[in-house]
Amino acid sequence: MILRGGYFFRRALRNMQQSPVLSMASIGTIAVALALLAFFAIAVLNVQQLTASWGESLAIVAYLDEVPEDKVVKGWISDIEQYPEVDKVDFISREKAFERFRKRLGDDAELVEGLGPEVLPASLEISLADKWQNEIAMTGVVERLRVDHRFTDLQYGQGWLEKLEAFLLLLRISGAALGGFLVFAALVIVANTIKLTLYARQDELEAMTMVGATSLFIKLPFLVEGTLQGLFGGLAALGLSFMVFEIVLQKSLGSLLLITGIDTIHFLPVVWQVMLIVGGGLIGLLGSLFALRKFVRFVSQ
Amino acid sequence: MIQLYNVCKAFQRDQYALKDVTLSVDKGEFVYLTGPSGAGKTTLLKLLYCAERPTRGQILVNGRNITRYGVSRIPYLRRNIGIIFQDFKLLNRRTVYENVAFPLEVQGRKRFEISKKVYQTLKNVGLEHRLNHLPLQLSGGEQQRVAVARALVVDPLVLLADEPTGNLDPEVTLDIMELFKSANARGTTIIMATHDRSLIRQFPRRVVSLDSGSLAMDDLPLFRGQAETTGQPR
Repeated sequence: MILRGGYFFRRALRNMQQSPVLSMASIGTIAVALALLAFFAIAVLNVQQLTASWGESLAIVAYLDEVPEDKVVKGWISDIEQYPEVDKVDFISREKAFERFRKRLGDDAELVEGLGPEVLPASLEISLADKWQNEIAMTGVVERLRVDHRFTDLQYGQGWLEKLEAFLLLLRISGAALGGFLVFAALVIVANTIKLTLYARQDELEAMTMVGATSLFIKLPFLVEGTLQGLFGGLAALGLSFMVFEIVLQKSLGSLLLITGIDTIHFLPVVWQVMLIVGGGLIGLLGSLFALRKFVRFVSQ
Repeated sequence: MIQLYNVCKAFQRDQYALKDVTLSVDKGEFVYLTGPSGAGKTTLLKLLYCAERPTRGQILVNGRNITRYGVSRIPYLRRNIGIIFQDFKLLNRRTVYENVAFPLEVQGRKRFEISKKVYQTLKNVGLEHRLNHLPLQLSGGEQQRVAVARALVVDPLVLLADEPTGNLDPEVTLDIMELFKSANARGTTIIMATHDRSLIRQFPRRVVSLDSGSLAMDDLPLFRGQAETTGQPR
């Protein structure tokens, strides 16, 4: 059977040449479904990346009522840096805090005219290492700092972090659900398109069974055909999503995205691109399998 | 070569397409299957290549009981049987060559062997110059000759023909009959369903007649020196 692989491949290509419209319908269906999936994946991956970078910038801030001497501050910093979760600790003086505040106000900086740095407290900004960027680790560090009694006013964006994690989880779940739905829809449509092809060739299939063709011999060219259509569909989806990414997302929406804080948006990683093409092939193969499941037995009776 | 024992086929309860048919066809025999429309000719042929299953009775082909053949064994049975239909049932999107080569490809024959055999068979039916034509580019007679070539290319033990000349004009009918005669002379057992009386007179052979699903007559031509046995199965 392996030696006859070339025969089935040639037959599949020939079938596609002979029914260009139906072939294009199958390829188009797979391409559209996978392109939708690719767009969604691009959105999810970029949002994930963005939220991850927000998460990275989260820090615990310990406000200081009185500013102690440099030596004391350095001692505190070195104490806190001993915590395994802590990446680094920065001392933000009143002056630095005031300067930051002014900058953040931008055109409204005049609002703080006449005020001095003494209106803002000095603080220690405690950043956690990447692997500890989560609610539990942050709460743990805050609890230990509270026990210390040197730091009473601690802020770390409690609710925000919780919401961010919930949002990321929701995004992943909805991504998986929508992706699954799109793949299923593509599968059903492809199976039906291939079924239409089979109905169009019903007489041909019947004639094949009359000369002793086994069910596998009849099915294989259709399976190869379905797989090829799926691979072409996957390639087309990749091309289509890349074009839309380049033309719409990068150029037209580039400035809009910048406002929301997204510096650059990324296309699908190479692994995902390969998965898109292979996935197309799998959808084509499974679609043909579903369509052929009962059909050949039906014509051979 | 072919034996049917008390074969019945009912498509609906109490509506029999074949009733208690017992029949034996020897190796190398040529048998006409006749009878009016709805007599059960096509059903009987379908039972022989397992497109239908008998409701009762036993069927033997080449010594094998095919009555309860599983779906997976049917293709291998059909590789020894050539089947010809009134409407040709050719693969219309494949060339004449590809149509005739198909049964050999199914059997996994080598390419060289296939091309040699196909060319020889097409030459025998006088269509070697039409190799690359599609069936629909041919006349009805030529299409039927392609169907005959497809059936004969595998040197079948049995040739089953269901009204093979029903759509053809008298001249082409004679050509097809000549092809059957020469296949029969080479040892192929032939069962041909027809209601063309003139054809039977012109090419006299054993005639098995069905009426309303029952065997009405099993008749050997007198010129072969055998007695008429009207009304009795052999």
